[in-house]
Order: sequence, then C-alpha cells, then structure tokens
Amino acid sequence: MIVRVTPDAFDPQAEIASFIAGRDDAGALASFVGYCRAATDGAVVSELSIDHYPGFTEHEITRLADEIHRRFGCLDLLVIHRVGKIAPGQAIVLVAALATHRGEAFDTVRILMDYLKTDAPLWKKETGPAGARWIEPRPEDHARRAVAGKEVA
Amino acid sequence: MVRLVFLGKLGDAAPANLSEVALPGEVKTLSDLRDWVGRTAPLLGRAIAATQTRIVLNQTVAHDMSACVRDGDEIAFLPPMSGG
Repeated sequence: MIVRVTPDAFDPQAEIASFIAGRDDAGALASFVGYCRAATDGAVVSELSIDHYPGFTEHEITRLADEIHRRFGCLDLLVIHRVGKIAPGQAIVLVAALATHRGEAFDTVRILMDYLKTDAPLWKKETGPAGARWIEPRPEDHARRAVAGKEVA
Repeated sequence: MVRLVFLGKLGDAAPANLSEVALPGEVKTLSDLRDWVGRTAPLLGRAIAATQTRIVLNQTVAHDMSACVRDGDEIAFLPPMSGG
C-alpha cells in the first residue's frame, strides 16, 4: 500500500502505470481521479488551496486506507493527495486499487473516496474574483460516508 | 510553552502570536485551554464554537477534554474536514 501526501503536481496515468508495473496477480484495477474545477456553481475558481496538518494528515489517511484495504481484501492500494496550491485542471486526488476481481477493486475505491471526503484531515479553500471561501463537507458527503461506514462495519 | 495549531478557516482567524504560548497557571486541561483561547482571541473563540471542532493532542485525537496540558505539548484545533 502506498499513501503519499504531496505539494507537487502529479500525473495520474504515470502513477497508475508505475503502480501496476510487473503485477500479474491482479485481475482488476479500479481508479478514481479528482480534479480541480475551473468553476463551482457558476463561480470562477482561479486557485484551490488545501491546508493539512503535517504528520497527522498522512497518519490518518494511511489509517483509513489500511482499514478499507483489509476490509475489502484488495491486493494493493495507491493513494495520492495534493496539498498546497492547485490550479484548475490539475489532479487533486488519485485512489487506485488492484484486486483479484472487479468487485473488491470498485468497492475499495468508492468507499475510500467517501471516507476521504469527510474524514481526511484536509481543508479546501477556493479563490476566485469574489474572494476566497473555505469548503465545508456537503450533506450528501456525510450521507455517503454514513452508507460507506455501514458497508465497512 | 505549548504549540498551538489552527487548521483550515480557524487558521485565518488565529492571531500569529498564538502559535507558541506560555499558558497561565490556571490552564490545566484541554477544556481550560479552549476557554482560554476564546478569551484571548474572541474572534477565533467564536469560530471554534461555531463549528464542530476536534482537538488533537500531540498528534492523537483527544476524546477527553479533561486531559492535562503539559509544557512542550502540541495542541491542534481541527474544523470539519473537506478532503477528496
């Protein structure tokens, strides 16, 4: 399992290629990439900034990833999350799961993303022409997290 | 001296001189500390009270607000998270 919290831009396709290189034990790869949008609800976003708590953020994301990795029995898991300043179009987060069959791969990626939205110690701030605003988790994020929690339990 | 860390929007409300502080003798617990922060920086105190703020003591989530605060501790205040 690889977990990386980084201020550096990354290429999701290159990361996935490196992650699966030499693996012939997996029958399935599922992945999700979250990108920085150029607009939210019609408001232009010129920059996204993600605050984190060094050490604690890495530890918590690793703990969540490890819990879901073991629960769904995937073969390997890759998690990369950007912090700091991010430009529209750049990748924010990549979750990729290798598994024997597609079910474990899909479940691992979907549920880990639902966990990261509300439980990863990260704080997003969008900046646009009207100023900056901190992003709060949406009610649907909490609803999805509640459903995911039942699937993990 | 203790080190205080304010994340996300709490960081915007926190005065710069509140990152390394010598606490007065009456601040013995995390609960005392939260109250003291509210008295020292009212804007920050209101931001902490207005949201579900979690407290992390020396990189571990604190569930007991009666936990003691000691010299050299690092205490972080975390507002609701928004990752992914």
